Amino acid sequence: MPEYEPKILAFLCNWCSYAGADLAGVSRFQYPPNVRIVRVMCSGRISPRFVLKSFQEGADGVLIAGCHPGDCHYSKGNYYTRRRLTVLGKLLEHVGVDPRRFKVKWISASEGGKFADVIKEMTENVKGLGPQRSFKRVDDDE
Amino acid sequence: MSEEKKVGAVLVVGGGIAGMQSSLDLAESGFKVYLLERSPCIGGVMAQLDKTFPTNDCAMCIMAPKLVATGRHPNIELITNTEIENLEGEPGNFKVTLAKHPRRVSAEKCTGCGVCAQECPVEAVNEFNEDLLPRSAVHINYPQAVPLTFIIDKTACIGCGICEKMCKANAIEYDQAEEEQDIYVGSIILALGFDEFNPEIKKEYGYGIYPNVVSSIEFERLLSATGPTGGMVLRPSDYDIPKKVAFIQCVGSRDQQCDKSYCSAVCCMYSIKEAIIAKEHTEGLDCHIFYMDIRTYGKEFEDYYNRAQDEYKIGFTRSRPASIREDPKTRNLIISYIENSEPKEEEFDMVILSVGIDAPKDAVRLSEKLGIELNEHNFAATKKFFPLSTSKEGIFVCGAFSSPKDIPDTVAQASAAASKASAMVSTERGTMITKREIIPEKDVRLEGPRIGVFICHCGINIGGVVRVPEVVEYARTLPNVAYAEHNLYTCSQDTQEKIKEKVKEQNLNRVIVASCTPRTHEPLFQATVSEAGLNPYLFEMANIRDQCSWVHMHEPDSATEKAKDLVRMAVAKARLLEPLKMATLGINRSALVIGGGISGMTAALGFAKQGYKAYLVEKTLELGGNLRHLRYSGTQEDPQKELASLIKLVEENENIEIFKSAEILSIEGYVGNFKSRILSENMEHEIEHGVVVVATGALEYEPTEYMYGKDGRIITQLELEQLLAEDKINPKNVIMIQCVGSRGEKVPYCSRICCTTAIKNALQIKEHEPDAKVYVLYRDIRTYGFREDFYDKALEEGITFLRFDVDSKPKVEVASGRLKVTVKEPLIDENIDFNPDFVVLSVAQVPDPNNEDLSKSLKVPLSKDGFFLEAHMKLRPVDFATEGVFLCGSAHSPKFIDESISQAEAVVSRACTILSKDYLEAEGVISIVNSDICSGCETCILVCPFDAIDKDDKGKAKVNELLCKGCGACVAACRAGAIQQRCFTDEQILSVIRSAFQEVST
Amino acid sequence: MPDFEPRILAFACNWCSYAGADLAGISRMQYPPNLRIIRVMCSGRVDPVFILDALSKGVDGVLVLGCHPGDCHYISGNLMTERKMRWTKELIEKTGVDPRRLRLEWISASEGERFANTAKEFTDLIKKLGSIQKEEKEKIFSELKAAEKVADESRVRILMGKERELVEEGNVYGDKSTQEDFDRLMKDILDDEHVREKILQIAKEKPLSVKEISKRMNMPSQEIGKHVMWLRHKGKIALHGIKKRSPLYKTVEVPY
Repeated sequence: MPEYEPKILAFLCNWCSYAGADLAGVSRFQYPPNVRIVRVMCSGRISPRFVLKSFQEGADGVLIAGCHPGDCHYSKGNYYTRRRLTVLGKLLEHVGVDPRRFKVKWISASEGGKFADVIKEMTENVKGLGPQRSFKRVDDDE
Repeated sequence: MSEEKKVGAVLVVGGGIAGMQSSLDLAESGFKVYLLERSPCIGGVMAQLDKTFPTNDCAMCIMAPKLVATGRHPNIELITNTEIENLEGEPGNFKVTLAKHPRRVSAEKCTGCGVCAQECPVEAVNEFNEDLLPRSAVHINYPQAVPLTFIIDKTACIGCGICEKMCKANAIEYDQAEEEQDIYVGSIILALGFDEFNPEIKKEYGYGIYPNVVSSIEFERLLSATGPTGGMVLRPSDYDIPKKVAFIQCVGSRDQQCDKSYCSAVCCMYSIKEAIIAKEHTEGLDCHIFYMDIRTYGKEFEDYYNRAQDEYKIGFTRSRPASIREDPKTRNLIISYIENSEPKEEEFDMVILSVGIDAPKDAVRLSEKLGIELNEHNFAATKKFFPLSTSKEGIFVCGAFSSPKDIPDTVAQASAAASKASAMVSTERGTMITKREIIPEKDVRLEGPRIGVFICHCGINIGGVVRVPEVVEYARTLPNVAYAEHNLYTCSQDTQEKIKEKVKEQNLNRVIVASCTPRTHEPLFQATVSEAGLNPYLFEMANIRDQCSWVHMHEPDSATEKAKDLVRMAVAKARLLEPLKMATLGINRSALVIGGGISGMTAALGFAKQGYKAYLVEKTLELGGNLRHLRYSGTQEDPQKELASLIKLVEENENIEIFKSAEILSIEGYVGNFKSRILSENMEHEIEHGVVVVATGALEYEPTEYMYGKDGRIITQLELEQLLAEDKINPKNVIMIQCVGSRGEKVPYCSRICCTTAIKNALQIKEHEPDAKVYVLYRDIRTYGFREDFYDKALEEGITFLRFDVDSKPKVEVASGRLKVTVKEPLIDENIDFNPDFVVLSVAQVPDPNNEDLSKSLKVPLSKDGFFLEAHMKLRPVDFATEGVFLCGSAHSPKFIDESISQAEAVVSRACTILSKDYLEAEGVISIVNSDICSGCETCILVCPFDAIDKDDKGKAKVNELLCKGCGACVAACRAGAIQQRCFTDEQILSVIRSAFQEVST
Repeated sequence: MPDFEPRILAFACNWCSYAGADLAGISRMQYPPNLRIIRVMCSGRVDPVFILDALSKGVDGVLVLGCHPGDCHYISGNLMTERKMRWTKELIEKTGVDPRRLRLEWISASEGERFANTAKEFTDLIKKLGSIQKEEKEKIFSELKAAEKVADESRVRILMGKERELVEEGNVYGDKSTQEDFDRLMKDILDDEHVREKILQIAKEKPLSVKEISKRMNMPSQEIGKHVMWLRHKGKIALHGIKKRSPLYKTVEVPY
């Protein structure tokens, strides 16, 4: 049986973190192929629902990354992200999701190396934790 | 000039990055452009580069969209493989005769498929790859070439006729002859670029004899993923990976012996860049740079230099090597040089000669045909206060042809020349352009999704890792995918045509491109989709290069699987995409210019000449800014006279309204429709304008070091200039200290202008008093470009230059009423004492502390040094990311007068691409409210950073489409799900999440 | 080697030489039994690949027989043959095999005797030269295989086919090439293609560095390296790890 390969979903804001992920590519920083990236215009767009849905669908880890505080392309979007997701993090922990599976990071457009490092670290951690046991779908509105 | 009818067209000569930028600006501002290029395709030297400094952006990646935009613009007529034969007529109405050389392949018929080149039996020298990999006689220069039309190289062709037989499009035309064409234009821009110095002339370095001595441009190709070695650094003698390489600077620069006295201005930075990239490509590589002075004078350059030393451990040795010899056994190279007066030798596996910039080979011929003057180095002659004008009215110059310069300065000048060229014929705007055809949009709302997927190999960038054909096969199995194919370069012009064809042929109503990043390429593909008759928002990208093949280079299986997932996720989203209609708005055709220095005044005058109103806001009582304190220009021109005449022009122009001792109270609105309140001389004014220009300049650093302020004989360069000009002093013994503040802890960057300023003033002292002794204490002399001639003159005049190390700075004391300066001379490693009459400090240029407030009210960023930060360091030097806001002059970073003028003119050109339009279109990706669900709780209003949400008369939220920037914060905040963000709806994102783990259908 | 009986292949054109061979038979002229004749409609049909393939499979000598110049049933097929055989000899020479093992002769339908004499003389010559397999059989055969591949390269085929037109009639621009110019071009191309084929052969077994390949081929690494880069560019050779600081390359086996 092959080694367990976790699946991590990353939500990145268009202006900083997505650009940072691009920069990791341009700089050819290598990182594990376990992450799938979803682009949003601002991390402020990320609703807690997206995170819950990701875990429901089978994600073993979820990363949210936006501009550094103060750098937001839309001035203050990332402040909302921070507040909202802090609460969500606590909730997830409460329902039994290891906090190492859910990360919120600030990654700028020039931090390609940081992006690669974050993915490396997270993949390693989540690998160590093993697969996330599935959430029961209480309400699936699709 | 006024008698004859003017022509609303401009001829741009040279299709490099400068020519493209000029052409795009002019074409977008309502002028017809003829873009003339000698070689078979546009792109110039930048197409050959691997990366660009200081951001290490991939040159082709950032240039490709411009190449395509130039190639597809309806107002630009590309005329390649053609030269100027004759010029007649007057400024405003020139008749230019062109000599079109036969291409022998029909531009209309050639599809660029390349079968001819595959079958051609001849191998010829490949200029693009610097003879490191042969090409065929029928060829194109590089895969993304525009136009993508092959050409037969008659000198290599043996005329066997195979290509004609193989060409399915019947595009081969052996009998094409030389052709003449006459065109009529109002003005001309010369963007000829440069040629590389031929290093064979420097015999002592053995180029052409020792295989492991290569030129910097050859090395650039070795670094490139598309180059002969696929990006692996290999040395030519045995194709081994070198362990230790050396760069030798100033080969063909700063060298009287080979008649190149000037500095080529770019080599220090490109060598550092090549060394960094080489180290990244090659494990354990040792890089060493031999230099005379490191000239990292540009924005964020010093930081790059520091990182090269500290992070990348690149070695720097201050020495110009005397010679290179080869060890015939190992083919290693032994460099002989002198360091600290001691002869030394060191062995390297490979040596890169950093070749300088030569005047374009065509310069002399062309200058005679056009009647323009060249300078002593065969570059176009310009004046300090008229950096864009040649000696002939109506003919302008930009880029390296006026002096060696890097890409951002070239791009700024290109826009600037466009502003000058169009100002001449501004009355004819819009008379010769093709009105953009409005392609009727197909209504797809009632159709089920039919998705077309185009997957890019990106040469080997994707295809070398991801098994692209397999991903295509996979895409075909996904629900709603009606068509899938792979392309060598999906961004190339022929593929764009192909996408359009396929949309029609396969009746597609959604398009996905899986290639690089939407950040750079989405607009290009959206335009294509739109030309195919689909709404541009029925397009989605999958990033399988930057975020897949490049980061999983050694895991082809996983990378292929990931690429499939990314395509599946894109399909999941594409299926739910909806056509969006953009709101349009009118434009206020006027500009607000903040700052009344040379940059601001130049910009205001530029707008006025284009026929637009400018509001010029100056915080002090007087126009002129820092220029008011300059007394000497170092050339024949008198700065105060030039300034006075500029002020007069600005003040007398009825299109310019000036506010002095003014303060901006607020700026509101958005591109095309700004509203600002200005407090001027205690009166409040409200003005409306379409664009904003930041030209707030920089300040002089007030030194705390070297006892400044403690003794009247310790002064700054500006103070010296003032005292000299007013004949108040007659110094006989002067010490100048460079880098006061700059390149240190307080001001980490280089202030760019201080070396030249010091030399200028030193020469001035000598002119007053030929026997005066002037000593300049420096770290590196950074007289880049033709400013080097100044430096040479200073040396001739007996001005003494003494270098000091950063960790043993000179000491200034006052001992028994006399000034005493002590400096440790690194060569002899001993202290030298001086007792000068004056100590003159070359102080740094620092950003205005008010920048912070202005940046906040304009919502534009500052760099970490506190200057304004442009949209893109290389290709958008005067634009902000925020549309309609521009910057120029020292507010961008420290600058010389000519550079500030160039940037100011550039801003005019960039802004005219907005001001000349009939209307603007709002963003498509914005939020919309479903008022049936909205409860009117106002949460969205609280979170909106742009005050774009209001309540309507029914108490429901309402989004102002023109103010909304599309961040989506309100959507995530809405507790009822009443707001959706177009293109990023909950439904779309949730579907993408679901498809990340499994296949989903509608 | 007294008992050596060479195997000789003769390509004979239908209209002249094959008829000549028939005439030799009708006239009961005797010639050694070592010859096997393959009938082709025109000597122009004889592909250099056939000859090199035959030699590489152990045939000791090849005769190509056609109509006399001017007599070709297909007007100028034999003239093309003459040019092609010159280059085939050039290729044979590169392999270390004596080029005399290939001979072109013009034999008309009425020259039965000439046919018999040619067969005799050629058999004697080959007997004197000995078996092609006499020494280093494997090496010779692989050399011949490489030469065969060179002869099969499209650019080589194009130029061999176009030689007469380019030299005698003029090219698509109406310009004629001198024989010297053409020869120089053709020799360069044969040299390049031969080196490339040899590289592919050598790097087939295990990954090798440019230095190792050049040592085996006794050629400067600088030149070999350029060819390796070209082959890599064309996907014929692939990077296969790095040993110390030398990248290793291995020939890509074409799947079909």
